[in-house]
Amino acid sequence: MTERVIAVVTAGLTTPSSSRLLADQLATAVHDELAARGQTSRTEVIEVRDYAHDLTNNLLTGFPSAALEKALTTVANADALIVVSPTFSASYSGLFKMFFDVLDDKALAGKPVLLGATGGTERHSLVLDFALRPLFAYLKAMPVPTGVYAASTDWGPNAATLRPRITQAATELVATLHHDTPVKPDPYANPTPFEDLLNS
Amino acid sequence: MQFGVFSVSDVTEDPTTGKTVSEAERIKSMVAIALKAEEVGLDVFATGEHHNPPFVASSPTTMLGFIAAQTSKLILSTSTTLITTNDPVKIAEDFAMLQHLADGRVDLMMGRGNTGPVYPWFGQDIRNGIALAVENYALLRRLWREDVVDWEGKFRTPLQGFTATPRPLDGVPPFVWHGSIRSPEIAEQAAYYGDGFFHNNIFWPVTHTKQMIDLYRRRFEHYGHGAADQAIVGLGGQVFMRKNSQDAVREFRPYFDNAPVYGHGPSLEDFTRETPLTVGSPQEVIERTLSFREHFGDYQRQLFLIDHAGLPLKTVLEQLDILGEEVIPVLRKEFAALKPAHVPDAPTHESLKTAAARARDLETL
Repeated sequence: MTERVIAVVTAGLTTPSSSRLLADQLATAVHDELAARGQTSRTEVIEVRDYAHDLTNNLLTGFPSAALEKALTTVANADALIVVSPTFSASYSGLFKMFFDVLDDKALAGKPVLLGATGGTERHSLVLDFALRPLFAYLKAMPVPTGVYAASTDWGPNAATLRPRITQAATELVATLHHDTPVKPDPYANPTPFEDLLNS
Repeated sequence: MQFGVFSVSDVTEDPTTGKTVSEAERIKSMVAIALKAEEVGLDVFATGEHHNPPFVASSPTTMLGFIAAQTSKLILSTSTTLITTNDPVKIAEDFAMLQHLADGRVDLMMGRGNTGPVYPWFGQDIRNGIALAVENYALLRRLWREDVVDWEGKFRTPLQGFTATPRPLDGVPPFVWHGSIRSPEIAEQAAYYGDGFFHNNIFWPVTHTKQMIDLYRRRFEHYGHGAADQAIVGLGGQVFMRKNSQDAVREFRPYFDNAPVYGHGPSLEDFTRETPLTVGSPQEVIERTLSFREHFGDYQRQLFLIDHAGLPLKTVLEQLDILGEEVIPVLRKEFAALKPAHVPDAPTHESLKTAAARARDLETL
């Protein structure tokens, strides 16, 4: 069986960040779940912070730097995606959104996505369903039903309750990986014949 | 190989002086740049078309007609003519008129325009950009090639028994280039008709530009207009030169950092690395420009952007002097030496007239 590629997009700002911590735990859970089913997998982590300047430049110039383009291609070609954003002002962070603003808006169509978010307090946990889920619905991705939100307390006294949520979400993501990622047509290799454009 | 300059016609504050020229000054500057282009031995002057500030070039054929009257060899062109929001009937008439006034020294470049708000001002919708480019250009071609046109389409009032006047000079429509940065449909359109394809080659890395040009060349051959390496390719480019490379960088940096479009974004160094922008000595510009041929194959037209971002006219005219004295003569010689015999030059009015006469002779045989 072919190796599954899981792309992780995490938008924490500090090192280490709680977003990266959650992202790593989600990625490990997905890897283990795939292994339990006899499938090999590889994780490609994209720290959005590393592309902060490139993202601004892309918005201004209209094209990605070589490094950013590589990251965007990694995400577009992955079998599944894990995303984690810190919660800023009741939503995902601006930096997190910029990554998906410059990504081709068809790149995630049909792609399984595990939604994750972090924040200082549990009271922000609906950011998953009120901010992240609509974004990925717009991009026609397929977010799995369980998202994982981790507040500060989840890294301390509540850690035991975080683990089952991570396992549940990972299991759901892996369950969607039963088919091969469709190969997207390349419009430069196979353009629409001009007669079709004329007659459409 | 044709060499020239293309202008976007922006009125931008000079960041080194805080001074902004008036529209009148900018318009006259563009004329001065065109006249200087002919004087220093360039072949082409092309003007953009815009309908919103800070740009002044809303009426390209007015400007080009004025320049035509004061020049004798320069080819007048556009970069681009908006095939989406202009009425194709008016394009047919305006450019045929210009052909007559300029004795055929006219071609034009079709473009869609990427400023969303402009479309509704002209009763259109940017989401129909490709469809407008396809339908309007199909009509434009017929208006130039058929004396009486009956036509009905989606975007314009139908025409019954319509004749666009004046008819093209010598019955030969102006040569058309299609400009597009990233839409495969436009490269396909240029290939289908055997028209030229122009890539602005300013804002995108070489790999993207190559993707578009390779597509155009491949489909040009597919549609039977000749071999892929005989397709008619034009490229833009952006340069700023001083005798010493460091002086060029120092002088250009404030203009780059505050330029419309990419200003306040990437560093000059990043942008120079990732795009064809060349800031340096004339020799560096020669080497970079010759490298285009290695990426894209033998091509027919090279236009440089030299007059934007608030650069003073005096500086732009100095750039033209450097181009004319030190850069273009070398490039002409180098490109000519490298070009195989079967690769054609860019069509001109004279070459198209000769080709049309030959086609008529063949028909009568």
